Amino acid sequence: MHKIKIQSVYLSLLLAYICILFPWSNFVLSFRPDFMLLVILFWLLRAPNLCSVGTAWFMGLWVDLAMGGIFGQYALAYTITAFFAVIYQRRLVLFSKTQQLVYVFSLLILAQIILLILKAFSGHQFIGWSYFIPSVSGVLLWQLAVSLGLNTGRHSHGQ
Amino acid sequence: MMRGIHQNFDQQPAPAFFVRGPSPLARLTFFTALSLALMATDSRLQYLNDMRQNLVSLLHPLQVIANAPSDLYALSDEYFSTHHHLLAENAQLKKQALKQAADLQKLNLLSLENDNLRNLLQAQQALTEASTLAEIEHVGRDAFTKKVVVNRGTNHLIVTGAAAVDATGVIGQVTRTYPATSEVTLITDKSLAIPVQVERNGLRAIAFGHGRDNTLELPYLPANVDIQVGDKLVTSGIDGIYPAGLAVASVFEMKTSPDSPFAHIICLPTAGIENSRQVLLVSIPKAKPSTELKPALNQAGKIPSPAEKANVPVASENTAQTPSQTAAPSTVKKPTAQETRSGHAQN
Repeated sequence: MHKIKIQSVYLSLLLAYICILFPWSNFVLSFRPDFMLLVILFWLLRAPNLCSVGTAWFMGLWVDLAMGGIFGQYALAYTITAFFAVIYQRRLVLFSKTQQLVYVFSLLILAQIILLILKAFSGHQFIGWSYFIPSVSGVLLWQLAVSLGLNTGRHSHGQ
Repeated sequence: MMRGIHQNFDQQPAPAFFVRGPSPLARLTFFTALSLALMATDSRLQYLNDMRQNLVSLLHPLQVIANAPSDLYALSDEYFSTHHHLLAENAQLKKQALKQAADLQKLNLLSLENDNLRNLLQAQQALTEASTLAEIEHVGRDAFTKKVVVNRGTNHLIVTGAAAVDATGVIGQVTRTYPATSEVTLITDKSLAIPVQVERNGLRAIAFGHGRDNTLELPYLPANVDIQVGDKLVTSGIDGIYPAGLAVASVFEMKTSPDSPFAHIICLPTAGIENSRQVLLVSIPKAKPSTELKPALNQAGKIPSPAEKANVPVASENTAQTPSQTAAPSTVKKPTAQETRSGHAQN
């Protein structure tokens, strides 16, 4: 079984960041999944020795920079989400595919709720239920990646 | 199944619990504290602004890479645009240029006349605003705010506070500048307010962005205020930020309810907030007028505030005619035409 290289982790995080930097138009923007969080979750579940809560925090800072809001919002949301991802990581091998999807979906929703709370503190108002669409598209993307053969930590001996 | 799990643990080079270092909880506590400290620093103190600027300029190559596909698409789209389309556009532009040339001649005459009248009144000369054409790179990525990022920054002498206008009206205001880009907060953003004036009767008000749908509000106006649906709102220019007379919005809906002393007025922005690509960044020179104007204002015994500045030449006349008296923006043609029209109507 080959070892996961740290370079591939960094490269994928960089690619996710470029995806965030794409000039999305208004309409597509509301559907855009949180690529960065998806990639972080993937590595947290797949290779927890290479990607940890600290990585999530660090990448969160860069996302904060891209979003242009107050520094630390995404960092905090990613940190807490990564924590919940990590504490259940070892149980993930026992999860079925559907359970894993639900798990990822609830993590994505958790990150969005934390962000919503932080935004509410800084004086923004809730923009409606469409706010949670990125979590749905995120989990669909996850499913797409799994069905295309991406190994998300389960049955990793099969490769 | 058991065998599968066993192998799954085997494939990791070292058991996870040996290489993890500090426990996740310890990391969570540490990084949460760090994030909270960062948020407090960034929102209350201004220490991180320089760091943000430097980091964004560091990110610029990445941004260029990310923009490449859409830029390439736009370029090829332009290249392959049909002959017929170009001809039609050319004809239209010629017609427009002809019309504007006529307007421009009139404008020159009027500005000359205006200068002479100002000289007679010994008032300040109209200041010409510095303007830069910029292109919108992308819309803001934060769903909670209405922002766009344009491709001109401090390298092109853009300062925060500059007004962003398109061919039809005001779009917003530059709120943050980076070396190569700057962030424009749209007038529909909840945090942006813009001083306006009803073109029909000169009533002054402040329009606030609504934040959610692309509308503006006129709060704190009494229920019997003289505003009708369809009224045009233009910038009043008394803030010293926006040049006077630029179209901002038109009144879309006006409701009064017996339980509120205020009217509920909803306006739609005139400018193509969501669909224009080129914007003009107009900044009114700040330092110059204050040094030039002080003696004159001191003589008159007045406080040199931006509001006063705009009102000085009007003082002897009817205050309702502010837009026709204040600076005529030489760079933006259409609003000027409106301005002169409104001036004539009132005369």
